[in-house]
This record gives sequence, C-alpha cells and structure tokens, in this order.
Amino acid sequence: MGLKGNGGKILIVDDSEMNRAILSEMIGDKYNFIEAENGAEAVAVLQHRNAEISLVLLDIVMPVMNGYDVLEIMNSRRWIDDIPVIMISEESTPSNIERAYDMGAVDFIARPFDKSIVLRRVVNTFMLYEKQKKLAELAISQIYEKKKNSSLMISILSHIVEFRNGESGLHVIHVQNLTEILLKTLVRITDKYRLSAAEITMISHASALHDIGKITIPDEILNKPGRLTDEEFAVMKTHSMAGADMLSQLTFFADEPLLKTAYEICRWHHERFDGRGYPDGISGDDIPISAQIVALADVYDALTSDRVYKKAFTHETAIDMIREGKCGNFNPLLLECLSAAADSIKNIVNSSVQYILHDYIDDIPGEFFSRSELTPAKRIFDLLSHEKTVNKFFMNLSKDFLFEYTVTPSVLILTPAGARMLGTEQIIVNPFSDNSTLRPVFCEELHRQLSEKVRESSPENPEFEFECDTVIDGQPRHIRLICRSTWINDDPPVYIGVIGKMIFDPEPTPRKE
Amino acid sequence: MNLIECYSALGGNYEDVLRRLTNERLIKKFAVRFLDDKSYGLLEASLNENNVEEAFRAAHTIKGVCANLGFDKLMHSSADVTEALRAGDLDRAKQLFPAVSEDYHLTVDSIKALDD
Repeated sequence: MGLKGNGGKILIVDDSEMNRAILSEMIGDKYNFIEAENGAEAVAVLQHRNAEISLVLLDIVMPVMNGYDVLEIMNSRRWIDDIPVIMISEESTPSNIERAYDMGAVDFIARPFDKSIVLRRVVNTFMLYEKQKKLAELAISQIYEKKKNSSLMISILSHIVEFRNGESGLHVIHVQNLTEILLKTLVRITDKYRLSAAEITMISHASALHDIGKITIPDEILNKPGRLTDEEFAVMKTHSMAGADMLSQLTFFADEPLLKTAYEICRWHHERFDGRGYPDGISGDDIPISAQIVALADVYDALTSDRVYKKAFTHETAIDMIREGKCGNFNPLLLECLSAAADSIKNIVNSSVQYILHDYIDDIPGEFFSRSELTPAKRIFDLLSHEKTVNKFFMNLSKDFLFEYTVTPSVLILTPAGARMLGTEQIIVNPFSDNSTLRPVFCEELHRQLSEKVRESSPENPEFEFECDTVIDGQPRHIRLICRSTWINDDPPVYIGVIGKMIFDPEPTPRKE
Repeated sequence: MNLIECYSALGGNYEDVLRRLTNERLIKKFAVRFLDDKSYGLLEASLNENNVEEAFRAAHTIKGVCANLGFDKLMHSSADVTEALRAGDLDRAKQLFPAVSEDYHLTVDSIKALDD
C-alpha cells in the first residue's frame, strides 16, 4: 500500500509498552519506529531528532507529561507545522477529540485499534505531508538558486569594475557589508526611514554596483598614480552619472526595485548632505537614504584601505576624520549609526570573508522562511544555527588547541586557547600562503604530512593522526595532530576541510609569572 | 487450550480481536505478552498508597490494553475503577478493585493455560 521501502520514522508515544508494540506491529516494518513512554520523553526525542521524525502517534493519558502538553509544546515550537500528529486514545469523547484537533492533531484513532484503519490513516497522513514537504523544499531550492545567481551576477559585474581599477575586489565586499550594518543600525535607532529586512538586503546588494560608471573612465585617469588635474578630476566625476545612465537604459527591468535602488546609488553616492557634492548638488534627505549610506560606507572603506597614494588609516582615525567633517559631509543620523555600530564595523571589515559566507544563511531565513509553508527547511536552518551556537560555545570554553579548517575559502578557525598559544588571531584567512603569520608553524614537513594524510582519508575513514617537528613562537616543538577530514555527502563526496586537535609533546611549561 | 477457548474462559471477544488484528499468531503473541504487563501491579500498589493519579493512569492503561486485546471482562471492571479514580473517589475505587483483581487473575490464568 502506498509508500515502498523505507517509509519514514514514526514516533509512538504511549505509556503502555503493549500498546506501542501492537501499533508498530500493525503498521509494519516498512517504517522505522522510535518509542517514548511519556510526553516528556517524546518532547526530548522531538528536540534532538526533530528532522528525522515524519509522524507522531500520541496517547493522551500518560505519566510525567500528558498528550495535550506535548501538543502545546509542539505548537509553541512550531513543530506541529511540519510533523503530523495522530492521536491514539480511549479518551474519545467529542470534547477530547475536538480539543486535540484544535491543538493541531491531524487525526484521531480511538481504541480498540483496528489494523486496517490504523495503517490506512498512517499512510494517508504520511503521503500528504511528504508531498507538502517536497513542494516546500522545491520552492526553497529554487528561491535559493535564484538568489545565489543574482548575487553572483552582481558580484561579477562589480568585480569587473574593481579589477580594472587594480583593486582586489575587497572594496565592493566591504561597502556591501558596511551598508548592511549601517542600515540595520539606522532602523534600530530611528523609525524615520521605514526599511524592511528585505529592503535592507536589496540596498546592500545594489551597493555593490555603486562604481560601475567607472568603466567609462579612461585608464590613464582611472589608474593614474599621482594627483588628478582639475580636468582629469572633472572626467572622473562623470562616473556617477555614467553608471546611472547605463542602468536607466535597461528599460526592460525599469520597475525592478533592485534597479531603481542601484540607479539612486550610482547617481548620488558622491552627493553631500550640505549640497556641495556632485553631480546634482542636492542636499539633505533629497538624497535617497540608500545613496547616503553607500557614500558613508565608501568613504570609510577608502580611508581604512591602502591605496596607491596613501596608507590605510586605523578604524579609530577614520571614524574621527569622518566625524570631524574632514572627509565629506553626512547626515547626523548616519554619523550616529557609525558610532553606534563602530565595533561591529571593525569586526566585519576584519573578517569580511567569513561574513559573506554567513550572509547567505543569515539572509535567506529572514526573508523567505517567514512563510509557514516553508518551515521544513527553516527547521533545518534552526538546527544548523543551534549546532553553530553549541559548537562556538564549546570551542570558546575549551582549553585545548582545537582547529577547524575549510578549503574554500581557505580559512582556519582556532579556539581562543589555540590562538593564544600561537599568538595569532582566531580566524586566519589563507593560513598556508607565503606571507601568513602561521608560515613558521605550517612548515614544509607539516604541510606535506597533512596533505598526504588528507588524500589518504575518505568519508568512510576520515580520522588520522601524525606527529612532526615544527616551530612555535620561535621555539622548536614536537607536536601531534589528531584530525578528521570533513565531507559533504554528495556523489562523489566533496572534501570540505579538516578539524582536529594539536597536542604539544611535551606540554609547554607555563611561563613564570 | 487453544486461543478461542482461552478467550472464552477469560470473557473476551475473540471474533472482534481477530477482525482488528487480522491474524491468530499476532493475537497469541500479544496475549502472552500481557503476562509481563506491569500496570496491574502498579494499580494495586498505588491504591494501597492512596495515590489517586498514579492509580488512575494504571487503571486507564489496563483498560486500554484490554480494549486492544479484546479482554472485555477485565476491560469493563478496570473501566469502572478508572472512572471512579477520574472522579477522585478513592474509596469507591478500592471497593471496585476486587472485581478487577478477580478478572485479572482469571485472564492471566487462562493465558497461562494456552497450548504452546
């Protein structure tokens, strides 16, 4: 009947072992069963193995926690939205049945159990929910794919401009991240500009296009090492209007909010709040808030980055210079945002690679998972974010040298204890590069052994250990590494990176105070 | 005795249970497992300790299991105790308990007399 092979996992909650056995016998070995003998056990199972459970059969009268209480918890945590519950109980008076339905139960099977009825109701419920789940997953993956592609296209475009400009591409990423942080801070401190989470995301994406007009600027002006003459500067200044013109010619997409916003940003990101900017010389809130924010982000990043003509200023100096009006003139509210968000701005610019990565995960649930039909995927994200919190907490607590390395992008994350032992940051981008601070530690021998062991490992045999000599903090050391390679279960499996622990042999003697 | 004789001895409804569980092997398997069910012992102990809630749940479980297995006689007597306890009437539950006890032992003895 219905599903073939592995039908899914059913949680049977009943205080009588006999009743649980009768039910699983009736439903048959096409399904897997998890049993719980009271409501509290059921909640614990749902908490830890949430994504595995496809159906709950729930008794009402039970010790410790009854069936109604389980339903209530399933409602408050929204598990009820995607895990169907069939009540199994003698308490089959109309008021009991109605109460269970009101609390989200999909069906009610009264005792005594009848094999054909139990089986049919279970299979029907299963098929209905499986179909719904598949549709929701399809929708999610399409939304994700679409979003990923459009972000990708924007990145490609903006990087072409940067590339010609001889810059690394980090500027666009920084401006994008700064824009997002400043906007989020802005809506927190004032309700003057009513911006939804979706609009904030959209403006941040559009910000990447702020300099596309620069492709019309001749090379010798764009990449001139020295100071620009007045004539050259006049040409340079045309880039904002040029970018806006290019966008306005995309008539086919003229009504797209992303395009409108990108237009505002391109055209007005060099305007000043006091009206002394270009190209239009508009002032105050005649300048759209998107362009005001990007202007500030642009200036901040220019100040804190190395350029051909100057060294990078520190975060603190840059903030002071902006506040004192030495670099442009801004909306006082935005200056307030800059101060309020100073710490996160500093962190984001330092760890922009990591930030972009989590941006995807961060962004999608907020915008799309607010729809209740999309909760299955949200559950997975919730679990993921829970795992991340747990992992981070334990990493921070550990006194061991633990590490987590991913290949793409090449990022090494250490426990605080590990970072202290090496005297480095906790997050290291490109740890194997020649100018990495970790170059002495990742000596040739360590690198060679590690690569070899990783190549030998597989998803089935991911764990390995090895010893080698290296130099830490200027001292020759003998170390042992216990590692596990990590993989994504694709076909063929995709190698992600290595996690592990470094042990010093012998342990370093603590320095005398 | 065979399964039909056993059901008749313990006051059960064999026809109904056969219809619901669909095969004899299954009925026999669960009937034998009933010997291991702890609910009767829990009911007795809870009544002695005047623990109404625990006694209610135990009686309720006996009633449910008996309904599923078609042990009608024991189901009826345990249902009476269940309702007394649901109403919080411990004295009445204690008065009714000897009937449950009698039916329980009749049921257990009948199952034990089953042919292998």
